[in-house]
Amino acid sequence: MAEGFSTGRKREDQEMNLKMSAVVVVHGGAWAIPDDLAKASVDGVKVAACEGFSVLRGGGSALDAVEAAVRTLEENTVFNAGHGAVLNADGEVELDAIIMDGRTLTSGAVSSVKNIANPVSLARAVMEKTSHIMLTSRGANLFAESIGMATVPTDTLVTEYERNEWEKHKNYLTEVMQDFNCQWAHDTVGAVSVDSAGNVACATSTGGIRNKMIGRVGDSSIIGSGGYADNFSGAVSCTGHGESILKVTLARLILSHIEQGKSVADSSQVSLQYMGERVRGAGGAIVVSPSGEWAATFTTERMAWAAVDQDVLWYGLDPNERSKEQLSQYIYNNPNNHFNIF
Amino acid sequence: MLPVVVVHGGAGHIPKARSENSTSGVRSAARTGYTILREGGSSMDAVVEAVTQLENNPSFNAGCGSVLNVKGEVEMDAIVMDGKTLGSGAVSAVRNIANPIQLARLVMDKTDHACLTAEGANQFARSMGVPEVPLQSLITDYSRMRWKKNLGPDANPVECQMGKMGTVGAVAVDSEGNVACATSTGGMLNKMEGRVGDTPCIGCGGYADNQVGAVSTTGHGEAIMKVVLARLILFHVEQGQSVEAASDLALAYMKSRVGGLGGVVTVDPQGQWAARFSSLQMAWAAAQKDTLHYGLYTGEHFTQSIDDPH
Repeated sequence: MAEGFSTGRKREDQEMNLKMSAVVVVHGGAWAIPDDLAKASVDGVKVAACEGFSVLRGGGSALDAVEAAVRTLEENTVFNAGHGAVLNADGEVELDAIIMDGRTLTSGAVSSVKNIANPVSLARAVMEKTSHIMLTSRGANLFAESIGMATVPTDTLVTEYERNEWEKHKNYLTEVMQDFNCQWAHDTVGAVSVDSAGNVACATSTGGIRNKMIGRVGDSSIIGSGGYADNFSGAVSCTGHGESILKVTLARLILSHIEQGKSVADSSQVSLQYMGERVRGAGGAIVVSPSGEWAATFTTERMAWAAVDQDVLWYGLDPNERSKEQLSQYIYNNPNNHFNIF
Repeated sequence: MLPVVVVHGGAGHIPKARSENSTSGVRSAARTGYTILREGGSSMDAVVEAVTQLENNPSFNAGCGSVLNVKGEVEMDAIVMDGKTLGSGAVSAVRNIANPIQLARLVMDKTDHACLTAEGANQFARSMGVPEVPLQSLITDYSRMRWKKNLGPDANPVECQMGKMGTVGAVAVDSEGNVACATSTGGMLNKMEGRVGDTPCIGCGGYADNQVGAVSTTGHGEAIMKVVLARLILFHVEQGQSVEAASDLALAYMKSRVGGLGGVVTVDPQGQWAARFSSLQMAWAAAQKDTLHYGLYTGEHFTQSIDDPH
């Protein structure tokens, strides 16, 4: 059964010119996160949420905020995106990412790109510097070169942990699990945000499924599945079993429920439940509405998530967990993370 | 009302000299799909066969006859989707094979994945024994001419694309009420290497769900992606719109929200179907109750007996 959260607070009347509150929500993957990764996962999403929020506080857009948050997660090896990504069947790293601007519906995506430290930034470059939405594989890498984006050696992206996991799985007969796929690492990362101008944005980034076939593209780079953003309804970033998310175009499905009048939490729950019943897939989603309501919902055992809203840092891992700290207290307690919030 | 197959050969502005080939091509593909359905074949078999025929037909922007990327090479995208299971198979930026739609189906049937790209897709093709074909066998004089013309700095590929060549696709519902869709393309004229458009993106280039219907789209790929066009049409159908109204609403939204033109073929599990487009033309044909329907310009709707050889 899905777990959901949302703020109950409604936005103030816009006509009264009150300051809109900006919100950022991030996730670090929906799966059975083992205890030995739990603390690092929660710490990681909290840092990323604060990073995104500091961008908003500094006057940045929702688009800037989601990119910053996801970059932080890509650089954190505990997550399966950028650094720390899983390996494909050939022992290589192929990355997918998407970013979308809810105001214009423009988007940028890359699939199966190699040796790039921050695929979300490459995706943004596709959006802003080309007339296309999606580039794949060698073409994506050529584009990265053409804009001077640095290539990093595969070794810098691969952790010893992942190399070991890859070896283990290679030596056992494995098939992608048919039921709910909960046990497989699905630690795709993502972020959604609404800024003070009421614009929403989303971003998602992943290394995909461990030991996937070469060139396998999951949901993360596919518009409407791994993410979607529309100023009229909201922004979503998904995680979980990619093939299941694709079957139900999960991000767009969640927003269709919001368009029909459901809350962000109900929309997420109904959609994830549908995915479980119709195609036997589990996952999670973070959603934000243009008026600042948000939810973090999942049908897997755990999902590392965090949100900053109204100077409160919310976070969770286990079902029904909804912890919070005053943002100022968190920053005070974590001086090594140089947030530019105050 | 069942079975039905509806086929399109691209939305745009087809020059008169090529319009007859487009019309006869889609009519022939519809007949082929219908023959399969009439003999009790599945909607998936029907759409794959119809699209295979269009890929083999050099008059369309799919398989042989595909547009060229900026380097003068062919990179193809395709998708199939099964409305019963919501399973799908897609390939993007695949090279040197004659029928990407068949490879897409193999992805669906023979792997646990939904989409393979580029070199990975080609490796999979080899592992399945799909023959590699030389690049030259996919290139036509026409596509080479269009490519050269668009290399100039003041060329506008989107306009020129809408001008001349279209993605192909089909939807069908078989006698058991199962729906399916298939879409295949060479993509956008002079596109960047590795550019992927709407076609292989589920919900964009196509979508199929036994509970609602099936759609295959064509037109300006980036615009179709922004509004997730196929899925959007089916949301409207779910909310009670007819297949025709749902298609028109979604196309109008795409035009007003993101300034893109396109066309769609849509079918529901009861056999209601529509071929709608916001561009100047779309070559389309449908077969139902032993009647062949077809058209090219807005408002056209010709019919003839399916068994009429002309």
